[in-house]
Amino acid sequence: MNQFVIAPLLVALCTAIVTLLTRRFGRVQRALSVLGAVGYVAAVAWLITAVYPAGDPAVYHLGDWVAPYGIVLVADSLSAFMLAISAVVTLPALVYATRHVSAFGQKVSFHPLFHLMVVGVTGSFLTGDIFNLFVWFEVMLLSSYVLVVFYSGPEQTTATLRYVVLNLVGSAVMLLAIGGLYAATGTLNMADMAHRLANAQQYGVHVTPVLGLTALLFAVFMVKAGAVPFHWWVPDAYAAAPAPVSAVLAGVVKKVGVYAVIRLYFTVFAAAPLTDLAVPGDTVLGFFGIVLLAMAVLSMLFGGLAAVGQRDLNRLLAYSSIGQVGFILVALAAAALRPEFAAVGITAALVYSLTHGLAKGLLFLLAGVVEDATGTIRLDELGGLARTSPVVAGAFLLGGLGLVGIPPLVGFFGKFLVFDALARADVVVGLAAALVGAILTVAYVSSAWNRGFWGEPSAAVEGWDADSVQVACVVVLALGVVAAGVGFNPILEFARAGADAAIDRSAYIAAVLERGGGAA
Amino acid sequence: MTETTLAVVLGALFAFGTYLVLRRDVVRVVWGVTIISQAANAYLITMGDIAGSVPVLSHHGPPFSGTTDPLVQALVLTAIVIGFGTTAFALVLTYRVYEEHGTIDLEEL
Repeated sequence: MNQFVIAPLLVALCTAIVTLLTRRFGRVQRALSVLGAVGYVAAVAWLITAVYPAGDPAVYHLGDWVAPYGIVLVADSLSAFMLAISAVVTLPALVYATRHVSAFGQKVSFHPLFHLMVVGVTGSFLTGDIFNLFVWFEVMLLSSYVLVVFYSGPEQTTATLRYVVLNLVGSAVMLLAIGGLYAATGTLNMADMAHRLANAQQYGVHVTPVLGLTALLFAVFMVKAGAVPFHWWVPDAYAAAPAPVSAVLAGVVKKVGVYAVIRLYFTVFAAAPLTDLAVPGDTVLGFFGIVLLAMAVLSMLFGGLAAVGQRDLNRLLAYSSIGQVGFILVALAAAALRPEFAAVGITAALVYSLTHGLAKGLLFLLAGVVEDATGTIRLDELGGLARTSPVVAGAFLLGGLGLVGIPPLVGFFGKFLVFDALARADVVVGLAAALVGAILTVAYVSSAWNRGFWGEPSAAVEGWDADSVQVACVVVLALGVVAAGVGFNPILEFARAGADAAIDRSAYIAAVLERGGGAA
Repeated sequence: MTETTLAVVLGALFAFGTYLVLRRDVVRVVWGVTIISQAANAYLITMGDIAGSVPVLSHHGPPFSGTTDPLVQALVLTAIVIGFGTTAFALVLTYRVYEEHGTIDLEEL
């Protein structure tokens, strides 16, 4: 059996349970929680070494039920890449949280909830069953609801109310779409569904209803990714959540929506022929190419413009997340519109996801450090942080320039690959919007730098008192942004393997249905 | 006949749920969300064919014809449990909103 496939999931789940059981013993709980996060990184590393160079998807049959009858977990290079993003963001965020979240909060519920959120994310990245994906989404969301409302003040309750209602409606819509897809294709297994859709006539599958149902599902994933027009929950929720939670929400949870789009629309639904609508390539994927492009353009422009005007560092970062997800989606749009450049587009989207995970995770944690050390997060009350704390200011510069895309930081390669994909696929609208989006990124990063870090220290900044562990976590992520840029080649190879895994439908189907035979 | 009735009932449930979600009162919004998710569950059940003609794992052929699909019922059971948890959380959150703001009128929040 391929136990390494399920290892990250089990490690995170066991950590959640153990931290729940040991909550009477604060130190033990914190130690076990950090140990669990390290274990998670190790489990992900094990999975990557087992899956990535070999290339073939590894399949774990839950309860030893063969596909397509039982639920399968599938680990290929794409899942492995997403898990790597999750691992590199969650560990620093958790270590940081042990010094940032109030002792009472940690004791009551923080650690179990944090790890359960990681369980949900991991499950979503690994599952090969579409209904199981819904369940993992719910695991992730329910934990994130409580984490967003964590301090349960006026701001948090209002933000969470919006977040919860939107996502509950989203869950109902997702259930509808999945039920409909089951009725239309007769299966819930992703590989089996891909196989049936590719041979639609043979299996008597009507593709037109599938298009509508996948569009419903797409809306749900875009809610998760926080793309315009489903972005309005993002700023309030990210600003209300504790800093390490915002870091994981922006760095990892957002990417679950991106991953779901790549996995389902490029691997599963892409092959479905769609001849009665005049869409590029005459496939379901071509239809979503146009939708992705529109949403990506709007996200880049809206997120960038809104971020420039923010007075609050957290909100600035939250709006920036909306803009940055636009860059990821525009690369996917290029991939969907011109299937011959699909690999280039997906590679760009994956690298950009990693870039954004590292840089935004770093910046949200840094906002938390600033808030803890000065008592405020409003940019007009800050100023001169570069003088009082050069280390933190340096980390901000690295994270900010990482978003902007200055070589040799990893952000440069992210932006470069996105522009390269757009130029090669000849998506002029996307290219123009991405250029404007990039300029807006420069504008809001430099505006935050000028107002918060440059100049004379303000009264709040004079009393700077930062926790060294918190600063260390921020510095580690900042070094990560540099290291990932300097040693970029292995990352690029890994992302390329992930993109190939996303497109190589037949390998995915063969790996999953190998033992099933039922639908072959 | 059954199909028409079900379609009308499901449509009415979704419409009613949507209407409630758009109200100002948070409790009604939570009710609306609950009704929408129950409507989704009912819809899922109908995918298994109430009349009992769809076989277990394939949409055609003997020897399974004449059975209702048990898989969707398992799915709905899962969805109901999840819905129970989320509804409970939404109601607690509503109370918490009331405690923090002294109102559950969305216009005043």
